[in-house]
Amino acid sequence: MAYPKEFEKSIRKVEETREERLKKLPERMKEKEKDELLKKWHPDYKPEAKRKLKVGVSKGSIVPNEVADIIEAYPLIKPDEIDLSQVDYEADVLIIGGGGAGTAAALYAYYEGIKPENIIIATKLRHGDSNTIMAQGGIQAADKPNDSPLIHYLDVIGGGHFANKPDLVARLVMDAPLIIKWHEELGVMYDKKPDGEMITIHGGGTSRKRMHSAKDYTGMEIMRVIRDEARNVGIKVLEFSPAIELLTDGNGRVAGALLYNLETEQYYVVRAKATIMATGGFGRLHIQGFPTTNHYGATADGLVMAYRVGAKLRDMDSVQYHPTGVAYPEQIVGLLVTEKVRSLGGQPVNVDGEQFVHPLEPRDVEAAAIIRECYGRNKGVVTPTGMRGVWLDSPMIDMIHGEGTIERRLGAMFRMFSRFGIDMRQEPILVFPTLHYQNGGIEIDADARVLGKNGTIEALFAAGEVEGGVHGKNRLMGNSLLDTQVFGRIAGINAARYAKKARKPRSLSLEHVNKYVQELKKARIKEERKAPLLLPDYRGKEVLSRAIDIL
Amino acid sequence: MARKSKKGEKQEMEMVRIYIMGKEYKVPAGLTIMKAMEYAGYRYIRGAGCRAGFCGACATVYRKEGDYKLHADLACQTTVEDGMWLVQLPFTPANKAIYDMDKIEADDKTLVNFYPEIARCVSCNTCTKACPQELDVMDYIQASLRGDIAKAAELSFDCIQCGLCAMRCPAEIAHYHVAQLARRLYGKYIAPKARHLEERVKEIEEGKFDEEMKKMMKMSVTQLRKLYNARDIEPEED
Amino acid sequence: MEMGYYPGCTLKTNAKVFEDSLLKAFEKIGIKLKELNKWYCCGTVYSLATDNLMYRLAAIRNLIRAKEDGHEKLVAPCSICYNTLKQANLMAKSDEEAMSKINAFMDEEPDYDGSVSVIHPLEVIEAKLQEIKAAVKKPLGKKYAAYYGCLLLRPKEIAIDEHENPSIMERLIEALGGSVVNFPLKNECCGSYNVASNKEAVIDANYRIITNARRNGADAIVTSCPLCHFNLKEMQKEVKKVHPEFAGLPVYYFSELMVEAFGIEMEG
Repeated sequence: MAYPKEFEKSIRKVEETREERLKKLPERMKEKEKDELLKKWHPDYKPEAKRKLKVGVSKGSIVPNEVADIIEAYPLIKPDEIDLSQVDYEADVLIIGGGGAGTAAALYAYYEGIKPENIIIATKLRHGDSNTIMAQGGIQAADKPNDSPLIHYLDVIGGGHFANKPDLVARLVMDAPLIIKWHEELGVMYDKKPDGEMITIHGGGTSRKRMHSAKDYTGMEIMRVIRDEARNVGIKVLEFSPAIELLTDGNGRVAGALLYNLETEQYYVVRAKATIMATGGFGRLHIQGFPTTNHYGATADGLVMAYRVGAKLRDMDSVQYHPTGVAYPEQIVGLLVTEKVRSLGGQPVNVDGEQFVHPLEPRDVEAAAIIRECYGRNKGVVTPTGMRGVWLDSPMIDMIHGEGTIERRLGAMFRMFSRFGIDMRQEPILVFPTLHYQNGGIEIDADARVLGKNGTIEALFAAGEVEGGVHGKNRLMGNSLLDTQVFGRIAGINAARYAKKARKPRSLSLEHVNKYVQELKKARIKEERKAPLLLPDYRGKEVLSRAIDIL
Repeated sequence: MARKSKKGEKQEMEMVRIYIMGKEYKVPAGLTIMKAMEYAGYRYIRGAGCRAGFCGACATVYRKEGDYKLHADLACQTTVEDGMWLVQLPFTPANKAIYDMDKIEADDKTLVNFYPEIARCVSCNTCTKACPQELDVMDYIQASLRGDIAKAAELSFDCIQCGLCAMRCPAEIAHYHVAQLARRLYGKYIAPKARHLEERVKEIEEGKFDEEMKKMMKMSVTQLRKLYNARDIEPEED
Repeated sequence: MEMGYYPGCTLKTNAKVFEDSLLKAFEKIGIKLKELNKWYCCGTVYSLATDNLMYRLAAIRNLIRAKEDGHEKLVAPCSICYNTLKQANLMAKSDEEAMSKINAFMDEEPDYDGSVSVIHPLEVIEAKLQEIKAAVKKPLGKKYAAYYGCLLLRPKEIAIDEHENPSIMERLIEALGGSVVNFPLKNECCGSYNVASNKEAVIDANYRIITNARRNGADAIVTSCPLCHFNLKEMQKEVKKVHPEFAGLPVYYFSELMVEAFGIEMEG
């Protein structure tokens, strides 16, 4: 028992109410109830946490302060000091980002006929270090007889509060089964019944059981298979070499990127016929101070670079807080407790062991209900560090599905809690919402082309969490892995097609960066912030206070 | 960083000594190795990835005072202890075989043909002891050696490819690459195919949903909302 | 009766027919061979090549698994595995110094003391000849040359029978209703691993062994070792290239004769 003594009384109450709770779930909320709950308790509805952008194509649109901070920031480089005349790498297709979307894009560019040596993945950390690899719950696809892409469409657009771009949603749901088939052919080990039928379950906000999974390592399994395939076909990968600016040909066409070798600190010039932005999301900006489920490199670099070259942003006002991040133990606060725990029957209950929300409401609703329970009704469990959380009654899972289910289907979760002495088969786990997903992003069309003020930005594509419009104001579980694969594929194919017809960009320019700097100055933004961030800084305050930069 | 007690006065944190590549630092007890190294002033370029136990970037080995064991763990998932001597191993040199999944077969010689060094296994079990996921690494190598692809795939499923097994193996096997091939062979050739998936892909390619999808895409929010709120929801129980 | 069963890799791959027939035949005479829950390569190539203790780890670890599964006896049908495991077990019983090193190295395992006894299926058969006779439905009728090879008999400390002149396979053949021929080359080397590097040696051995069996009137050769089986059976086509007059003989595992005489239908 690794829980502190003061939790004991509450845990006993959870145990006492368990039998009763097995019999009955709370009703799902009506639309009006949801709206009221969200307005009062969801962090997105705090006006002081956001502000209007002062510069750029989407000037005037409202984004979280932390996003505005990096958009309204100065570049890391001085364009005049960069020598663009020496090109270090030539590519037909340059992909910025080595996660699920980037890797799918690379493979489909290859299938489309681009030679692997002319495809470059430039990535900040290692190939595969991404939010994709951390996605536990699953991937949606309407491939069962009782389901259809049309029903999936309705779930996505309703879950997104009808703010999604219809053509993007249509691509997402129509291509989903194709993606699962592709994975099956590559050898992804999806959970199946003995006759081959996919084992599928519900996710928050789904009306059909269409969540496919590979235990609770779904993203990792997909990522390691497509990465293995990229290595088989010989795609060139530059690790620890993030892009820090896009390049143009001086006439608005994107022409590659400037990379930065994090270890040697030198820059590389990449000239590319087509460029795909697949840099992922913004969890490591810690919006409103929330802990995050995201990987170390999720610093929204792609938003910054694309915005400077003229990409529009959309739906950036809404942020996804995953309802169930770890609230205890302290070492892993904020890490994800997959929604699958609720899909399999784990119920959220308060300090007194009472139900207060249906376990499978859409994520924003579920998160708001947990926040209300902790801070509005004061029914949360208070941890030794003063954090609040509610119980997720995990032992119910084995009661419902039989002993061994947790170890078999939630192996990653079980292992994580076991490492800190908590046996989630026997004891409930303590959770609180955590920053999870960037719902919006740079706007694309259904061919994954990036949109600017006047239509598409030539030769620039985007896929995965960095782009917006697919999920509207709220993404459903299992649609982010899907997004990376569907739009990674589309971006890969279209970038390849474009590159096959296009000529090499004749000149390379960073003039757009100069223009952006002028705009920042005109808006009287002080030169105190630089972006892209590349990596968060978690060094101890005492060390930083005495650090000097002399080497 | 010091916690405040209820009365608001500063309390001294409990500190422990750790040795990062031999250099002593005092860090707060209760931190993970990863957070402790950051507290001590390290800013990661390598050695940190997902920070949640899924990516294998933060493989770390350590010894504790008075204990001959060389422990292997993930820095993001392990709490520091007083007297821990540690170093991270953020990269493993290991050759991956190149194969065309469409052309190879899943027979009992496939794995040993691509990775003949697995026959050098002497069952010393060091790989198993080095695995931060506590997998039966030696067992899946042995299963691979005798051509039991399904077993190798099953036993290795939770592998995060951190490379610690390969760094410790006296037979110089790259276990995690062997396992990757085993799982792909299983997923592609041994696991039964999902027939409903094939069906659905065919329907989509034949355009079965195109007309209705077009209609739906043109619907107003009011119409969509009505449909959405009237959805029938597949019951939980089978 | 249940006995621990160590298959070894060859019985799971090239010698699948050996495993299938053996399990069926033994079931018929009341012995259930229960495969170890976990097992590893016996460690053969290394253990034969050197006396380095490292190469005993695999064998000892398998014996620990057998003990863990509650078996006093462990049946190892492949002659190579039998030899490797049996020699390691002998060492465990007799070489205290070596064992203290191995036990210290494998500190995650319980200490091993040599208390599992490693046996070959032919040793089990010795005590079951009456049951075998009773189970015969289709007596064999033909003449057989029993071929032992070397690994079941040498070194003599681990031999399953009189090491210069074994007879257990002959007694089995007779119990199954077959007759045996005089066969002086019954424990001659088959050429062993030379098949990989020095094929001529194997071709030569095959020619001499099979020709000798034919001259003595055999209709078929019976063996218990997957490597002998391969060298004697599969290499016959190579022998023919060198000796065009060579006529060859069928080669069977002893367990194949058992299922045949018991009238058990085998799949495939």
